[in-house]
Amino acid sequence: MSDQTSPEIMIEVVDLHKRFKDLHVLKGISTTVKRSEVVAVMGPSGSGKSTFLRCLNRLEEPNSGHIYIEGVDILSPYIDINKLRTEMGMVFQSFNLFPHMTCIQNVMLAPMHVRKISRDEAYERGIKLLEKVGLAHKADAYPEQLSGGQQQRVAIARALAMQPQIMFFDEPTSALDPEMIGEVLDVMSTLAREGMTMVVVSHEMGFIRKAADRVLFLADGLLVEEGSPEEIFNNPQHARTKDFLSKIL
Amino acid sequence: MPMTTATTAKANTSAKFMRSHPAWMHWVRHPYFLRGTLVALILYALFLLPAPGAPAALADKLNLGVFTVLVLAWSALILADGDRPDWLQSIVAFGLVGVMGWLFYRYSGAHWDKLAAAFFDWGRLSGSWWLLLDGLKVTLLIGLISTFLSVLIGAAVGILRTLGSPTLNLFLTAYIDIFRSIPMAVLMVVIFFALPYMGISFGSIATTVVALSIGYGAYASESFRAGFEAIHYGQIEAARALGLSRWQCMRMIMLPQAIPVVIPSLTGILVSMLKDTAVASLVASPELLKRARELYTSKASPTPLVASALIYLVVIIPLTRLANLLEHRMKKVR
Ligand SMILES: Nc1ncnc2c1ncn2[C@@H]1O[C@H](COP(=O)(O)OP(=O)(O)OP(=O)(O)O)[C@@H](O)[C@H]1O
Ligand SMILES: [Mg+2]
Repeated sequence: MSDQTSPEIMIEVVDLHKRFKDLHVLKGISTTVKRSEVVAVMGPSGSGKSTFLRCLNRLEEPNSGHIYIEGVDILSPYIDINKLRTEMGMVFQSFNLFPHMTCIQNVMLAPMHVRKISRDEAYERGIKLLEKVGLAHKADAYPEQLSGGQQQRVAIARALAMQPQIMFFDEPTSALDPEMIGEVLDVMSTLAREGMTMVVVSHEMGFIRKAADRVLFLADGLLVEEGSPEEIFNNPQHARTKDFLSKIL
Repeated sequence: MPMTTATTAKANTSAKFMRSHPAWMHWVRHPYFLRGTLVALILYALFLLPAPGAPAALADKLNLGVFTVLVLAWSALILADGDRPDWLQSIVAFGLVGVMGWLFYRYSGAHWDKLAAAFFDWGRLSGSWWLLLDGLKVTLLIGLISTFLSVLIGAAVGILRTLGSPTLNLFLTAYIDIFRSIPMAVLMVVIFFALPYMGISFGSIATTVVALSIGYGAYASESFRAGFEAIHYGQIEAARALGLSRWQCMRMIMLPQAIPVVIPSLTGILVSMLKDTAVASLVASPELLKRARELYTSKASPTPLVASALIYLVVIIPLTRLANLLEHRMKKVR
């Protein structure tokens, strides 16, 4: 792989549909994400951004279409979805740390029980990651003892502990008080600089301008527009995009 | 007296305020009134009450009625008054219980000596205690095994219900509803006397264990369900997104979070179950109540029954306390 000069395709989504009963949430989404690319997903509430993201690691089962991760059809029934998910980290709006475990236990859990690495190795890796997000000193604290921003950074460390190829973020800062948003975005910017492939649902314009390579704009379950942050922010083509941007700017 | 401190000044103004705006019937709260009426009641008790024995004459009945009402009214003046100190209220409460007991003892007309001889004839029990203790052993054995099995059934059913399969849920809900509706006595009798016609027969102890486990398993499963439902859905998503399998997620994420919620209600259920072991005497399990009834017949005395009641108290009260304590603890933890 490393001998290829053209950036390889990490995620390929083809004509993705998702329905909840009568509600047609995703109406045929197609896009690709290259290795080390940072893709921001924007769109009004209810447009299907979370659903799109959750289909990518099959927390939701799509109704039709194809998703290839590194060329592997992940909707195939022959796929071990648990193995596959270890390649994709996910960070949620509401952190979802495990409240009955300390931070370091949260971070060590999956590497030990899914990757089956030794406790010592998992601990070492966990502490390194907590250091990376600036929370090594909170290793033995329980989530409820941390601020929202700190919890979200631990959640990022927990996802990174599986050494995933791709990271998904679903509005990681929208449950946070304004003064804590920065610390989480900093961690994400660092990850982006280090070459992590990321798909981020977010409306943080500053972060997107700085870190994202491409913006997908979803509305009503359709991919209305995509382009570089400059193109989308400065020169939106579609009426829905213009309307939405005028509201959040 | 010179007013030196602010508190006396304040007390004074409030007293003045109360003098100019007296509450309705405020004098009933006055210490002099309460002390005076107390003395009057004591004098009443000493000199005006009828002679001991069940009152026959209407006048005596009225006399007793009036006295009882006066005692109750006087106690109410203290007990219902939020400003009275706790110690005074406890003294009055215990005093009230004492007076009522005394009245009952004096005027119920019961033959106390004969009653005591019948109910507390411990001498008659001598040499038979081992039978009761044998019964207690069986009761505890049944209780222990059924506890284990019903928690197991409850957890299994609770876990299966988290799978969210509609067909499976239909069966599980049917199980829960049916066995929570059938009285334990009926369940035991059916298993013991009816199932043998279908070629399924259990001994009496096995019947008891099966009935208690199945019946209380249904209750326990509801506890577990409540425990699982208290878990935020995001927890399960986070676990699954990390690649944990369903079973790992159950073991490492859901059960540890559900158990603190489950334990208090589960302990309560298990205490009820221990009491329901007494129903087993219907199917002739040699447990405590059965033994007590045997002795009741053979000794022609109710003392063994009283003894069994005391034994149940001694065993179950600590468990009830434990259940309350756990509930308290778990509430603090969360
Ligand atoms: N599990 C579900 N069952 C039924 N409907 C759902 C479910 N999940 C999402 N929906 C519906 O699908 C639509 C899209 O939801 P989604 O969460 O993907 O939107 P979103 O773009 O992420 O919105 P937001 O910005 O509010 O997070 C909404 O109308 C929502 O009500
Ligand atoms: Mg969303």
